Amino acid sequence: MPGNPPPDPAQRDRAIAALAAIAIGIQILEAAIPSPVPGIKPGLANIVTLVALLVLGWRAAAAVTLIRVLGSSLLLGTLLSPAFWLSLAGAIASLAMLAVLRPLAPRHLGPVGLAIAAALAHTSGQFLLAWAVIIPHPNLPLLLPPLLLAALITGGLTGILAAHVLGDPRIQRHVRTRKSDP
Amino acid sequence: MNPIGLRWGDAVIGALASALVIAAFALAYFPAGGARVLVISQAGAAPQHEPLDRRRTLEVTGPAGITRIEIEPGRARCAESPGYRNICEGSGWLQAHGDIAVSLPNRLTLQVLGSEPGFDSLHY
Repeated sequence: MPGNPPPDPAQRDRAIAALAAIAIGIQILEAAIPSPVPGIKPGLANIVTLVALLVLGWRAAAAVTLIRVLGSSLLLGTLLSPAFWLSLAGAIASLAMLAVLRPLAPRHLGPVGLAIAAALAHTSGQFLLAWAVIIPHPNLPLLLPPLLLAALITGGLTGILAAHVLGDPRIQRHVRTRKSDP
Repeated sequence: MNPIGLRWGDAVIGALASALVIAAFALAYFPAGGARVLVISQAGAAPQHEPLDRRRTLEVTGPAGITRIEIEPGRARCAESPGYRNICEGSGWLQAHGDIAVSLPNRLTLQVLGSEPGFDSLHY
């Protein structure tokens, strides 16, 4: 069943490492695609966070996400730059949101709702950091509504994609191999 | 079971998120506390503060000519300015805290301020 952590810690660590590697790859590919609007991007790497959350649990999702933020910033050369702190703030905010909502999944809440809530938390966390520290301009809140709208749309899309990933037989095999894997 | 595993919680979150986005748009673009004072700053002169209380027209003379400023309750605009690209006029009505219009030929800035403290400028 999704949500049950695998018994073997080594196997779990390997799964986290593999998911983090995939997430870093997705984030780097996404960084190479120019965005029509600054501050808005699909956030496809969050699919991996959702898969980790629903398959391995919140701690694994947190590990995958934090490794992704650190690893992709190392590869993109943004470590400790404002982009890195914004990325980290968004990651922490969305992980906090997922920690709150995790007990409701999968019984009352599917990947789409989780993804939308996490995307809004991500954007809000980033925005608070940007407004409080990086660009404390009184008119910056005018940017927030379009960013939240974008988060709603991209969150819904990543949620649908995550649901399809989770429903894929090849993933399902991994979700269920906790007993049958040698 | 639907293909993407939708639950009632998804509908709740979708509705709450949509409400949040709509509320954010409403709050950000229709602020309750609008502009209250127009600050006219001209190079070499002390800034002049004009309350946005009643309809009137001001004329400010600068190096390039006369800038005509229209003031109405809660808003002000640069109605006519000597700049040939009409940048000052193009700023439209200044009505939100911090809105600014600039006439470079007349070395003039017009900024409306509300009640909250703001930043003079921003550099990064």
